[in-house]
Amino acid sequence: MGLVTDRLPGLLEPMPGGSILITSVDAIINWSRANSLWPLAFGTKCCAIEMLMATGAPHQDMARFGAEVARQTPRQADLMVIAGAIVKKMAPRMRLLYEQMAQPRYVIATGSCAISGGPFMYNSYTIVRGADEIVPVDVYVPGCPPRPEAFFWGLLALQKLIKSGESIRHPGIRKKPVLAAMPQGITADEIKQQLRTLLEKENTIDIENEANNRSWAQKVDQWTQKI
Amino acid sequence: MTAIVRTLDEILIAPAHPGRGATQEYFLNMGPQHPIAHGSLRVILLLDGETIRKVIPVPGYVHRGIEKMCEHLNYRQIIHLTDRMDYLSALMNNWAVARTVEKAAGIEINDRIESIRTIMAELQRIQSHALWWGVLGMDLGAFTAFLYSFRDREIIGEIFEETIGARLTMNYIQPGGVMYDITPDFTAKVKKVLAYMKRMVEEYDTLLSGNVILQERLRGVGILSEKRAVSLGCTGPVLRAAGLAYDLRKVEPYGAYEKAQFDVVVGTTGDCWDRYYVRIEEMRQSIRIIEQLIDDIPAGPTMVTKFNTKIKLPVGRYYNHVETARGVLGVFIYSDGGDKPYRLHFRSPSFNNMWAITKIAPGWRIADMIAIQSSLDLVIPDIDR
Repeated sequence: MGLVTDRLPGLLEPMPGGSILITSVDAIINWSRANSLWPLAFGTKCCAIEMLMATGAPHQDMARFGAEVARQTPRQADLMVIAGAIVKKMAPRMRLLYEQMAQPRYVIATGSCAISGGPFMYNSYTIVRGADEIVPVDVYVPGCPPRPEAFFWGLLALQKLIKSGESIRHPGIRKKPVLAAMPQGITADEIKQQLRTLLEKENTIDIENEANNRSWAQKVDQWTQKI
Repeated sequence: MTAIVRTLDEILIAPAHPGRGATQEYFLNMGPQHPIAHGSLRVILLLDGETIRKVIPVPGYVHRGIEKMCEHLNYRQIIHLTDRMDYLSALMNNWAVARTVEKAAGIEINDRIESIRTIMAELQRIQSHALWWGVLGMDLGAFTAFLYSFRDREIIGEIFEETIGARLTMNYIQPGGVMYDITPDFTAKVKKVLAYMKRMVEEYDTLLSGNVILQERLRGVGILSEKRAVSLGCTGPVLRAAGLAYDLRKVEPYGAYEKAQFDVVVGTTGDCWDRYYVRIEEMRQSIRIIEQLIDDIPAGPTMVTKFNTKIKLPVGRYYNHVETARGVLGVFIYSDGGDKPYRLHFRSPSFNNMWAITKIAPGWRIADMIAIQSSLDLVIPDIDR
């Protein structure tokens, strides 16, 4: 069995007495950031039940994506899941919470209330029409409320975003926000199947076999000959 | 510079004049971002050391103006906004509006609709109480309870998903009927879930109720007397735990509750433990109600009015209420004869229950505040609307 994790960004080089991993610092920092998101337990409305509580529960286990450590204080968190409607009275508090979070920090806006105001968009005198008016949002997850699987879809989108994100030479670079809507007509079972393969099959690396892999050894030989 | 070293006696013995060494009261802000709030309720506490002197709740951090929005929507469209008030008992919120409109417009509902509504509402009551049980455990530091309750929430949620197509915001009970008919294997599935939940409620009881820490933190804490509960307008399990057997399902039966035999669960002292155990017992009673109704759901249509017809209420004021998982949800409609309400007001259970903390929390320590607020089972969007 290998590690049930994401593919490590780098090469495994065989060495006498073991093997070493060659990678760039940017890649490994972004990889570890993406796989250890600590969400802030910040819920205002119905989405909080689905996004923060049901996803942490055994049926849909957020720990599979390394994001289960929900923190109650913004100073220990780096992912803000805006779950629910933001009204004008709450908006300055949310901005304050965002600014208290440790950098680099990421924001997922879940549910139509956080995206545009949703069902309260018209005729409401208090709603903020979209959380992106207050904080920069990285990933939007549509739904009212989204299924926990849809939230995972958004979480995976954010992980991709982080991995291709900022580097040491260009710190603070932000990708454009993405809408992580699930494909139409997809069933819950199909999503679960996709997530399962993503977690277990494709992204499993077998360290022993990888090191003994002949193609790898050949590549490394070529590389050393060039030098 | 000189430094005077005080003797041990000077430090330990209380000072002669009252100013020195006397405690000072101070304010502590709890919320709107706080794990106990389950949403965003701000509570300002006046503390003396760790003892609470005064509690000032500040609601309004999720106020979306639903009542005002309802004035722009017709009676069928209002239903989807009620889902988003008390989202843990969305079906019962739907029912409250539907029932008021039906009574006002004179729409006769057949027995099949009443039966389906009752079964669905009771299933959601079990789900809501189970979720509350887990969250109370989590608030008091027992994370296991949360895992158990959410496991079972999903199992009941599967029935909702199959019949209604939603997990949380149901939008199911409409004026004049229900949105969709039940599936052919609904009865068998519900029976299976009930048999499972029956065991699970026992498991909840053995897992957490007998725990010494839980009992120490709940027994005798935050006593709400019957008289005070009535004067504050508390309803639901909070009022019944105080000792008054006021349950709308029994007092003025609606739906199919008249057909079912069940007991109104009543507490004795009105402390946090009674509020805890009333809800555990209500889960058992809800299972009992569904078991009696599930076998003979009468035949008939599931919608007695045409789907897209406009419902117009005659000029007048109408009020009706149902018992949600948190208490009495009343709907007041002032109609000017059109297809939209001139004014619509919700009497939401959480709003009245919230004011109980101002009366029962003073005198207790700040750690007891968590148990008291959690035992009231507040849903913040229901307070703010």
